[in-house]
Amino acid sequence: MDALQLRRQLIEYTAELFSEGFLDEQFTQLQQLQDENNPDFVVEVVSLFFQDSERLLNELAKSLSQQEIDFKKMDAHVHQLKGSSSSVGAHRVQRSCISFRDFCNAKNVEGCLECLQKMKHEYSLVKDKLETFFDLEQQLSTTGGSPPPP
Amino acid sequence: MATPLRKVFGRIPGLADGCTNGRMATRNRQVPQQRDSEQEEFQHANSDCLSSYYSVFVARLAIMVMLTILIGLLTILTWHITKSYTAKSLNNLAYGLRYEILQRPVLRMWNILNSTVDITTAQVKLSEYIIRQYDNSVTQAEQVERYESMRKVMWALFASRRALDAITINYRNGFVQAFHRDHRSNNAYYIYSDLTNYSIGVSGSSSAINMASPLQGWDNQSIHGNLSAIWYQEPLDPTTGDKIGKARQILPDDLINIAGLSQVPDGVASWHVAVSKYSDSPLLSAALPVWDPDNESIVAVVGVTTAFYSVGQLMRELVELHGGHIYLTSHEGYLLATSTNTSLLINSTKGPELMMAVDSQEQVISLGAQWLKRTYGNNFPTNHEVHAENARLADQQYYIDSFFLNLKRLPIVGVIILPRKYIMGKVDERAFKTMVILISSSLSTLVVGCICIFLLTNGVSKEMKLRAELISHLNARRKAEASSNYKSQFLANMSHELRTPMAAVIGLLDILICDDCLSNEQYATVTQIRKCSTALLRLLNNILDLSKVESGKLVLEEAEFNLSRELEGLVDMFSVQCFTHDVETILDLSDNIPTLVLGDSARVVQIFANLISNSMKFTTSGHILIRGWCEAPGLLRDFVKPPIDQRKSTPAFTYQTKMKHIGCRKRRESKNHNEVMLCFEIDDTGCGRTGIDPSKWESVFESFEQADPSTTRLHGGTGLGLCIVRTLVKKMGGEIKVAKKNGPGTLMRLYLVLHTTASSTKQNIRANYAKHDVAVLLAVPGSMSRSVMSGWLCKNGMFTLEASEWNGLTQIIQELLQSNSDTVPLQGFDRQYGQKFHGMDGIDNRDGKSPVLIIVIDIGLLDLSTEIWKEQLRFLDKYRGRAKLAWMLNHDTSNVVKMELRKKGHLLMINKPLYKAKMIQILDACIKERNSESLKINHNSTSSAAKYCPPESLLEIDAVQFDGGSSDDSSIEFSDLRKEDINESGDRTSSHCNNEERKITCNKRVSPLQRSVRSNSCVAKESLDGLRILLAEDTPVLQRVASIMLEKLGARVLAVGDGLQAVKALNCELDADDTASGQYLSNEKRISLAKMQFQSFDLILMDCQMPKMDGYEATKLIRKFEDGTGIHIPIVALTAHAMSSDEAKCLEVGMDAYLTKPIDYDLMVSTILSLTRRKDTTDEE
Repeated sequence: MDALQLRRQLIEYTAELFSEGFLDEQFTQLQQLQDENNPDFVVEVVSLFFQDSERLLNELAKSLSQQEIDFKKMDAHVHQLKGSSSSVGAHRVQRSCISFRDFCNAKNVEGCLECLQKMKHEYSLVKDKLETFFDLEQQLSTTGGSPPPP
Repeated sequence: MATPLRKVFGRIPGLADGCTNGRMATRNRQVPQQRDSEQEEFQHANSDCLSSYYSVFVARLAIMVMLTILIGLLTILTWHITKSYTAKSLNNLAYGLRYEILQRPVLRMWNILNSTVDITTAQVKLSEYIIRQYDNSVTQAEQVERYESMRKVMWALFASRRALDAITINYRNGFVQAFHRDHRSNNAYYIYSDLTNYSIGVSGSSSAINMASPLQGWDNQSIHGNLSAIWYQEPLDPTTGDKIGKARQILPDDLINIAGLSQVPDGVASWHVAVSKYSDSPLLSAALPVWDPDNESIVAVVGVTTAFYSVGQLMRELVELHGGHIYLTSHEGYLLATSTNTSLLINSTKGPELMMAVDSQEQVISLGAQWLKRTYGNNFPTNHEVHAENARLADQQYYIDSFFLNLKRLPIVGVIILPRKYIMGKVDERAFKTMVILISSSLSTLVVGCICIFLLTNGVSKEMKLRAELISHLNARRKAEASSNYKSQFLANMSHELRTPMAAVIGLLDILICDDCLSNEQYATVTQIRKCSTALLRLLNNILDLSKVESGKLVLEEAEFNLSRELEGLVDMFSVQCFTHDVETILDLSDNIPTLVLGDSARVVQIFANLISNSMKFTTSGHILIRGWCEAPGLLRDFVKPPIDQRKSTPAFTYQTKMKHIGCRKRRESKNHNEVMLCFEIDDTGCGRTGIDPSKWESVFESFEQADPSTTRLHGGTGLGLCIVRTLVKKMGGEIKVAKKNGPGTLMRLYLVLHTTASSTKQNIRANYAKHDVAVLLAVPGSMSRSVMSGWLCKNGMFTLEASEWNGLTQIIQELLQSNSDTVPLQGFDRQYGQKFHGMDGIDNRDGKSPVLIIVIDIGLLDLSTEIWKEQLRFLDKYRGRAKLAWMLNHDTSNVVKMELRKKGHLLMINKPLYKAKMIQILDACIKERNSESLKINHNSTSSAAKYCPPESLLEIDAVQFDGGSSDDSSIEFSDLRKEDINESGDRTSSHCNNEERKITCNKRVSPLQRSVRSNSCVAKESLDGLRILLAEDTPVLQRVASIMLEKLGARVLAVGDGLQAVKALNCELDADDTASGQYLSNEKRISLAKMQFQSFDLILMDCQMPKMDGYEATKLIRKFEDGTGIHIPIVALTAHAMSSDEAKCLEVGMDAYLTKPIDYDLMVSTILSLTRRKDTTDEE
């Protein structure tokens, strides 16, 4: 019964994530790609995303704190972040990347800073959500319940 | 003259108006409110013609005006010349004439006067002489003598002047001597007074008194008062002057005036006009005194009287010549002489008196005098000369001229009155006539001209109207054409927009149909909607295709495809429809048709789908035969003698000869292109009719045109199909037409010009079955398909037997197999059909193998309605060992039958119709089976055969090559049936019907497809199998995702972090070699190395933005390496940029395709497949 409850919880939680726009169908695709050959594919990719994103965010923060800001480099970073976030399906991060790039192109430092803050916020949000999601999944698998269909 | 002109000018605006309105004028009268708009509409069109119209009109008007002026001038000039000049000169002449005429009587008058004066003077002188001579005579005798001499002198004078009327001398003593001449009687008289009463003495005494007062000296009283004196008249011989009669006493002064002293009061000559009692004309009398020698007193008075009679005579003579009247008057106005005979005197109480000219009895003269008096009154010009030319007297024009003759003491005025017509009559008449003629001629010219202008302008306006009409027609036509063009373009442009929602609707309906929670009613409704949508889509497709072709947007693609496979698929598809109609569909393709041709497979299939469905519509029973053969320009001989033996009909031959010409024409240009001419015939038996009426053979290819108007009602359709077919065929360089056919039905002939690949031009005759000792028994009810198939089999060296129904089949089987030994079944063959089967003689002994008898049985031969078919099966089972059975199934053959067959081990089953490819498969399967049997040397192991042919593989025969790889995405164009299948199959493959029941129903039609998809190694989605893919992506997340995706599809993936690594991964060894021993490496080796290396990957997925080296750079490098090696590795760009400029950039640097992040699974698969498959197909060759 516990497993069932967990499963329902997980389903609801996932639905919530999708409806609030944290994730999009790309994430579903990721889940579909996961099979017995790659049992931890989603976790693996998402953690890759976390690492990459943190690195990029740091880079961005560093770039912005410098006297002479290299917008081109920043743009490349944001582009990369956008690519990875879209691949994972972190929709809101991806959205913030778009506005960040606009500011980059306009060389608007304040806008960039603001966006960076927003992006960091979004990132931490999605990170929390995904970690909770994985926790739930983990629990479900330990209790022996079958994971919900993607 | 002005009125018609004004009319003409008045018409101009009217005409222009009429022209502007063009033909609408009459209509506009009824619908005036439309006039404005329409007029505006035409204004533009008519402006040109209006201006030209105006110019023409103005030019003509100008010409007309000039003509009028010219005529007018001519008229006036002519008139002027004829009238004025002549008149003037004539006037001058007439003046001279008149002057001359008048001058003569005046001169005469003058002469008369002069002569009178002369005579008088002479008389005076002579009298003086005589008186002086006899001055001193005192005696009576001397006196008498004196008088006598005087008398003689006087007579001499008198006789010398015949014009004299009288000559008198009045002596002082009162004695008078006178001669008188009566002009009327031409008698001359001597008149004298009685001498007795006079005394010389008296006269002498009184002379002294007279000296004091000469005037008083002459006692006039004495003369007049001397009444007592006796006068005598003596008639004289007028010539000699001799007395011829007795003197007669007459009254004094009775006959003539005797000049007395009273007439010479001052002693000088005096003149006066006198009137005689006995003469009706006035007389001129002159008197002169005769002075005594010492000039102191007047001795006598001499008087001479001259009648004006001669003047009048002269005037009469003149007038007789010229007409008119002449008269002379005295200064006071008394008439002196006229040219008439009327009396010049008035008889008053005092005797005859002179009359005034006004009172003349001659009317003309009195009128003339009145006119003169009226005009001038008393104020005559100083010299009294008057010349009036146009005096109107009593309704006639006259010339009146007067001259003044100032004679001393007798001024005379001469007046001449001439009727004008005597001088100017003819001239006036001529002038008047000329004037009339000229005026009338100019008037008539003008009238004619005006009429001409009117007619002309009328004609012009008519022409303008017509022209305006023409222009409006042209405009309308242009508009119509433009709108039609717009329509086509609009439709062509809209094609995608129209088709996409329809496809979506149909797709969604399919999904809905698959849904299991539909009620039966809903299901039926949705199915109906599905059907309607399909029909709509088909119609839409037809129209769009047509408009696409019309607007020239149809571009045929040039891709390789398997023509026979496409056609077989088409026939399979249509045979399903045919079956319900009891129509055989037969595909008869010659072996020389190349397997692979280049062209637009979708369109080719569309052509045939349209033609076949068309045939099917009109064929209720019989067959539809699709014949095809190849006519490569290089293989002209084959075409003339078609490879299909059974075709012997004459129309075919004429067609072939025609085709030969075309072939000849095409030969030169097609040498380099491997062109082939594919000829086809679609031959149907129709529905009892004799086919299309020959007159409609051309028109059936027009859009919306059907041979028979009732067709739509009977068969449906829009009439677009054949139109599309024709346009497509033309587009492919071919031609289509309806050909003559002997039997019922229609025969369509067409040829297409398609390219072939060099490799496929060679003949693709399959294995030579002749060596396999194969005999085929065709147990097929359809005669046409049977004969076609047996013909092909014979041609390929196989013996064929034919049976059309079950009894015939059993008979043949029994004769062949039952009667003889089991081991050599074909010996019976030989015995029975040896003469037919000559080709098979001795074959059975060649390699010890027994010949194979293949029996192809149509399932329709079995009596399925009852249970007899099981008996029939059992009968056939008996011959299983000696013959291979192949079953032809119908599409609706029930599962029970199939299961039964399968259970009994009849695994060789095909779906109808039977055609070459299927036959080949049957043959192949049988030969293989036979071979394996002979290997095992095991005769009766039917089970092994079953093992050898597992259901899957055997059923593959059934797997129609329905779907060539080349036409999968354009199937929507073909026909609804085909499309349905594709759609359904698509649904099945993706969502794999969870509805069990539906699955079964679908399977009947779909299963071949699915299997074909599975069997076709390069089409299946799961089969990226074996592809080696290099993934260049710097983002770890993406890298991971993409590689998992690809691996799941069965590809092997090598992931690298940037462009540099990617390049290195491709040719790291090459690089190393290059750096180490680049100089020594020969070019060839480098290429082979590159090939080796490059071929380790089938495809590269390249991120565009990467550190170190981005995707563009890497691609450029790779392409540089490839340059010259002839290999081309597909590179697909991966980018987060989603703009078309990026795509252009990617393609520019040499990438083949373009994918956006996040990666869309399906899109990626299809992209990769499209790129690698192209390579596969070329590899296969």
